[in-house]
Amino acid sequence: MIPEPFEYHVAHSLEEASRLVAQFGSDGKILAGGHSLVPLMKFRLAAPKYLVDISRLGDLKYIREDGERIEIGALTTHYEVESSELLKAKCPLLPETAAEIGDVQVRNRGTIGGSISHADPAGDWPAPILALDADIKAVSTRGERWIAVRDLFVELLTTALAGDEILTAIRVPALGVRSGSAYSKLHHPASGYAMVGVAAVISLDEQGNITKASVGITGVGPKAYRATAVEEGLQGKPASVKRLAEASAHAAEAIEVNSDLYASAEYRTHLATVYTRRALERSIERAGHAA
Amino acid sequence: MKIEGTYVISAPRDVVWRHLMNPEVLARSLPGCEKLVPNSDGSYHAELKISIAAVKGSYRGRVEILDPTPPERYRMKVQGQGTNGFVKGEGTLTLSDDGAAVTNISYSGDASVGGVIASVGQRLIHAAAHQLANHFFQELSRQVQASQVA
Repeated sequence: MIPEPFEYHVAHSLEEASRLVAQFGSDGKILAGGHSLVPLMKFRLAAPKYLVDISRLGDLKYIREDGERIEIGALTTHYEVESSELLKAKCPLLPETAAEIGDVQVRNRGTIGGSISHADPAGDWPAPILALDADIKAVSTRGERWIAVRDLFVELLTTALAGDEILTAIRVPALGVRSGSAYSKLHHPASGYAMVGVAAVISLDEQGNITKASVGITGVGPKAYRATAVEEGLQGKPASVKRLAEASAHAAEAIEVNSDLYASAEYRTHLATVYTRRALERSIERAGHAA
Repeated sequence: MKIEGTYVISAPRDVVWRHLMNPEVLARSLPGCEKLVPNSDGSYHAELKISIAAVKGSYRGRVEILDPTPPERYRMKVQGQGTNGFVKGEGTLTLSDDGAAVTNISYSGDASVGGVIASVGQRLIHAAAHQLANHFFQELSRQVQASQVA
């Protein structure tokens, strides 16, 4: 199908984009890479009257260090994250996740900011940014603010971004010492979306006990979430095989687990525990090898 | 697909029941409801403009409340046609007391969804159905609480 008719506007500055977004309100949508929005429009599941194309805003495409953190501009493509030497060195969870997104074409066009603001319940980005306790920058004609990612994902396809806000940057901490991370995903064989995707970040002390465990899970519920029930089972404990299995069993606890043609809620719950365990195992192995 | 869940409202059961049976309350509680008018046979004609973020659809259809057993349960039959799909469903709403001033609502039903939303949006339907049900009960609860203060 082709989209319903719409008016197309190109923004030449962030200020112009903010103005247009405020002007069009709920009748407008932002277009970046288009790989979340355009399929929806082609199926006529979404029919915004106005599109504000922000893809020419080159100032929003960057990856730079900011002290102990790395800031990534919203228009950075998944491929640019995947191939970033800075991120591979300082925050490898992000390039690892990027490599799992969709396919080559999606990775070349899709943007990290666009994908996050779309908040697909099976999108990959929410899992690692939740595990990393990232911050998101939101800009509007009213000013700018940073939103902690734990406050960002509200419900199905819905973020805490106000209707007139544009997501402009993502800020993540560098991976610490004796820490490891991993993204473990079961791809849907046709769409490539996450049937389940688990991002883990683990820090160990010198004795091999887990000092910090963060687990972000996508594809399982109406929105991505931090698996705090898993984390609580690991905090301060030795990283044994038995411990990981026990903790992983809580991966879908207190979550309204999704059920669809591809996986029943029961099967998906099981998948969540398996992929959580795998993400934890790999993170711990990598933490052990880190200086 | 099966839709089931529970919701707790801090109000006595008969108060919640009265609100659930009130078409004006239902019209305000049903997500995106623009019209809920009684038909001559006791059923209702409903028009809803449902939106979850950018995904929007207009639906029109029929809602029937069947076998009401006040203040305990009723069955509901829903049938709707929309811009991106159609839905047919049947379910039961059960109310139970949890103390004098708290009502447990439990709902359980079967729905079939067809059309574009069911094929392309298949993986989102379960979560969307639950979200819409939750929004319905949240709004119902709000109205119940408001009436209690008055």
